Amino acid sequence: MRKYWVVFQQSFQNEFVYRLNFVLWRFRNILRILMTYFLWHSVFSSNTNVFGYSKEQMMAYVFLVLIVTSFVMSAPSNDNVGGEISNGTLNNFLIKPIGYLRYWLTRDWASKLLNMLFAVFEFTLLYLLFRPQIYLSQSPLQLFLGIILLIISSLIYYLITKLAVSVAFWTPENSWGFMFTILVFMEILSGNIFPLDLLPKSVMTLLQFTPFPYMVYYPIAILVGKLDVFNTIRVLIQALGLLTVCYFITIKVWRRGLKVYAAVGI
Amino acid sequence: MKTLRIIFRFSINSLQQALSNVPVFLLFFFSKLIRYGLFLFFLILLFNGVSTVVGYSREQMLIFYLIFNLIDTTAQLLFREVYRFRSLIVSGGFDAVLTKPFSPIIRSLLGGPDFIDFGVLIIIVVATIYIANTYIHPSWLQTVLFFAMVANSLLISTAFHILVLGIGIITFSVDHLVMIYRDLSALMRIPVDMFTNPVRSILTFVVPVGIMFTFPAKVLFGLLSWQMVILSFIFGGLSLYLSLKFWKYSLRQYQSASS
Repeated sequence: MRKYWVVFQQSFQNEFVYRLNFVLWRFRNILRILMTYFLWHSVFSSNTNVFGYSKEQMMAYVFLVLIVTSFVMSAPSNDNVGGEISNGTLNNFLIKPIGYLRYWLTRDWASKLLNMLFAVFEFTLLYLLFRPQIYLSQSPLQLFLGIILLIISSLIYYLITKLAVSVAFWTPENSWGFMFTILVFMEILSGNIFPLDLLPKSVMTLLQFTPFPYMVYYPIAILVGKLDVFNTIRVLIQALGLLTVCYFITIKVWRRGLKVYAAVGI
Repeated sequence: MKTLRIIFRFSINSLQQALSNVPVFLLFFFSKLIRYGLFLFFLILLFNGVSTVVGYSREQMLIFYLIFNLIDTTAQLLFREVYRFRSLIVSGGFDAVLTKPFSPIIRSLLGGPDFIDFGVLIIIVVATIYIANTYIHPSWLQTVLFFAMVANSLLISTAFHILVLGIGIITFSVDHLVMIYRDLSALMRIPVDMFTNPVRSILTFVVPVGIMFTFPAKVLFGLLSWQMVILSFIFGGLSLYLSLKFWKYSLRQYQSASS
């Protein structure tokens, strides 16, 4: 465990080496929120209630997206793991007494911590600029369960994205293709731009069987108290089930991948 | 003529490279279509709950989004090589570009068109024509002006990509700058009118993505004043002129440090 703690510390420090890159990355995250904010701001300029949401509720949702995505979806492993398989630098890790997937998970968590710190700062800045009314659930239990779901969601996100890049074991020239497809779905179907309960009920029911709504929509829905305790627990159980399935599939695919891995890039 | 022949050769090479792995080509192609389709679906869904947004109807919003994609995809198709420029600089490969009897700026801009975007572009063009003809019925003058404004948008996009190349030569880094341009552009999936001031003014006159992506659609609807049309063209010409000046300046700073 101590070696991963060292990896965590080093990764955290490493983020400060490329300060400009990090600041630009955070700036890009704010830009993404701006479109959603102004879109909904315009929609509510001539409507008081849209799909059962008041302006305050929608703005709260948009602002919480910034925090939730900073936690769940910040993952430097996405930009590195595929390349390390393709160019053979994965060898460096295979000969060391360290689990490769655990190593990158640790690095991702270091990045998440830093991203969260910045997201809180940006959130405060945007809050002072736009003064949205932020609703959070009054129930400590709901808030606790929401945070638990956030942790589960970030693990599901990690496993899915690593599963997507594992295709590089078989086609080293294509380490980004499946990841791109996953991120395309993630962009809309996770609830990044709008709360997913705007969708027709049948679509929403179907989406529950995919990992996408667990990334952004459900954590926010629980944190703002949109789901009651019964539904919160149901969503948590579903997320745990998904996490288990993703874990076993990813481990199995990685084991098979490592058997065919030939470090062709070297 | 020689320049066109070489650009054609670049395009053929790029197409052959893209088709060398058909499954990957198709994966990216369909993923991009899904990305556009999902946002279109969201817009349609949104208008099930509201009748207009800042005075724009559902069809107008769809046109705004399609025209955004038309311009954005064309720029990505043409200038994909800019995304690979950093490796050319840090590896010293740019020296070889400079020694050849061919314009380095054209090589750096148009050296690797992306044919995945070409397929997507055809679908976007067909969808735009269909919706514009069915719901908007623009006059011939609006149509001619629209094409001129799209050309002007591509001019501004060219200027921006040249600026990125120039900064790349000086700082060895283009990645985040290009991505910030992409994120700024992505704001224009909705018309610039939806942003309140001062953000709207910044997006129109400082980072002219509003001129690039919203103004052509407004011309098609007959909603843009002639003063703004003229201002757009002045902006286009001026930005290209200044970016070329900057390119010449950056070339003088090139030290071939990596070679």
